[in-house]
Amino acid sequence: MAEPGDEAVIVGAEIVAGHDGSAELLVRLRHANGVEAPVQLDEETGLKLMAACGALHVDELKGQSWRRIVEGL
Amino acid sequence: MFDVLVKNGLVVDGSGSPGYPGGVAIKDGKIVGVGQVSGEARTVVDAGGRVIAPGFIDPHTHFDVQLLWDGAAKPALEHGITCVVPGNCSLSLAPLKIADRPRLIGMFQQIEEMPPEAFTEAFEWTWEDFAGYCDALEKDLSINVAPLVGHSVIRLWVMGPAAQERAATEAEIAAMQDLLRECLDAGAVGLSTSFVDVDENGRPVPSRFAQAEELDALCAVLGEFGRMLQVVPEFYATDITIARIDQLADLSIKHDIPTTFSPLFDTLAVPDNADRAIARVEEQFARGARVWPQMQTRPIDISFSLLRPSLFFARLPRWVRILRQPLAERLAALRDPTTVEKMVSDAGPDGGEMMFGRLVARGGDACPADLVGKTLSQIAKDRGQSPARALIDLSLENDLDVAFLNASAGHQSTDRIGPMLANPLVHIGASDGGAHLASFSTYGDTGYLFSEFVRKAGAMTMEQAVAKITGETADIWGLKERGRLKEGLAADIVVFDPDTIARGEEEPAFDMPGDGMRYVRGARGIDTVLVNGEVAYTAGAYTASRSGVVCV
Repeated sequence: MAEPGDEAVIVGAEIVAGHDGSAELLVRLRHANGVEAPVQLDEETGLKLMAACGALHVDELKGQSWRRIVEGL
Repeated sequence: MFDVLVKNGLVVDGSGSPGYPGGVAIKDGKIVGVGQVSGEARTVVDAGGRVIAPGFIDPHTHFDVQLLWDGAAKPALEHGITCVVPGNCSLSLAPLKIADRPRLIGMFQQIEEMPPEAFTEAFEWTWEDFAGYCDALEKDLSINVAPLVGHSVIRLWVMGPAAQERAATEAEIAAMQDLLRECLDAGAVGLSTSFVDVDENGRPVPSRFAQAEELDALCAVLGEFGRMLQVVPEFYATDITIARIDQLADLSIKHDIPTTFSPLFDTLAVPDNADRAIARVEEQFARGARVWPQMQTRPIDISFSLLRPSLFFARLPRWVRILRQPLAERLAALRDPTTVEKMVSDAGPDGGEMMFGRLVARGGDACPADLVGKTLSQIAKDRGQSPARALIDLSLENDLDVAFLNASAGHQSTDRIGPMLANPLVHIGASDGGAHLASFSTYGDTGYLFSEFVRKAGAMTMEQAVAKITGETADIWGLKERGRLKEGLAADIVVFDPDTIARGEEEPAFDMPGDGMRYVRGARGIDTVLVNGEVAYTAGAYTASRSGVVCV
């Protein structure tokens, strides 16, 4: 788990409709400076992120480092 | 004597002005009279009080391949569309050297989901240059085509495999400029590029390796012709989209060109996404830039099957764990009564009615034909099961190859989207016609504009809606001979019933080369479609007319 203030962390995630007709993952990141911004991941990347985090529920992504997203790309 | 007289209708001329009773007279493919016209004609079309409007223009399609064996771009034409713009997202079928065909086919298959036979059996590939492609198209067209040339193929031509590896040199950029100029001379309506798309191996398409200097140099050539730049921005991230709007605005002002980006979605998950993008567009128009955001009318549907993992189940941990397993283990788990009992229990005390009940069995796969189009709630009731168990059992009975549709899962708020579509700076488009064939139907967005946003929501008048997809679209793209009912312009006309025009239900069709499947939608309320003065579609059937042209 990332230490608060170190780097961007996932503070929320939800399932959204993707442009190509698949379910996608909208991840909310809180950056070190406090700014929050959403990033939408395609289904393949979203599934990789969940697997990399050992998550079986989207809520289990909270607190994970943004680096997990990059690992899934 | 006129060639054609379309009479007894409500003339809606594409300007946004109120309709008025009258008709349209046609001679030699051109409009020669609008309003209270009378006289003899070889062909008379009685509109029967319906609307007589300019043919609709679809500015974002991928019909590049299909047009070579289906010159009507079916079912686009029966929806009232008389002009399509293919070649979007940096990909076109020319200019392309023979040696680069396999590479481009892979990119097209990634976007269009078209079977490989479409490229090898359905047409004779005779050209390398853009003029040759236009000639091949025009042999059998019944719809008009205003083709973009793709940045990725221009790069491929000049740089070969290095197009997908590195930035271009000054000499290579100069060669790309010459090639683009040649394509524009041959009839390209503009250039398309992408900051997003990937090929079949997940590698960025060639246009994504271009540096800003390269795009600037190509826009300088567009400026010589006043032609369009179409861009796919990083639409999944608002801040980056806004940065792209600024980049496009600078290019537009510097080179005096129109630019358009697509898609722009509204999403309840990021409710300020579209609003912020449109606000930035308004600021840039105020500076003198032309940056047209394209927004589609139709909502986004999600589909999935149990054949592969889907994020659709990402709030059901047990389902995630089971569906993540390799196929053999997954099947074993789904056949285990104890496991299934727990999965059904996880879906809620209502047996998954709330979670799965509204899902629709899609068809086009192994789903029994009599279940296609039914909701899981209906199917479960007929089987005497809960929706969750019906989902699992129906999948198991058909080797898991049953797709389910969660309709209107995104870009679905009519109350929010209506005012956006009505915004004079928002370009209605982004249909993706001819793409995503095996995922969802990309047809019928024009009918949905009228049924949902004119009749149901009242977000705009019928005349305004017509103008958005005819006169205004022609103005944005510089299609000077189209988009309006006006003397001297091309006689592209649609006769439709304003009370019933709509899109039909989505259904699978097996009409692609190689027995390929796609999802389509038929049209409702469209009576007759004329292309360059010839009846191309009437009373529910296509004619033998081949009056379409490649147009700029």
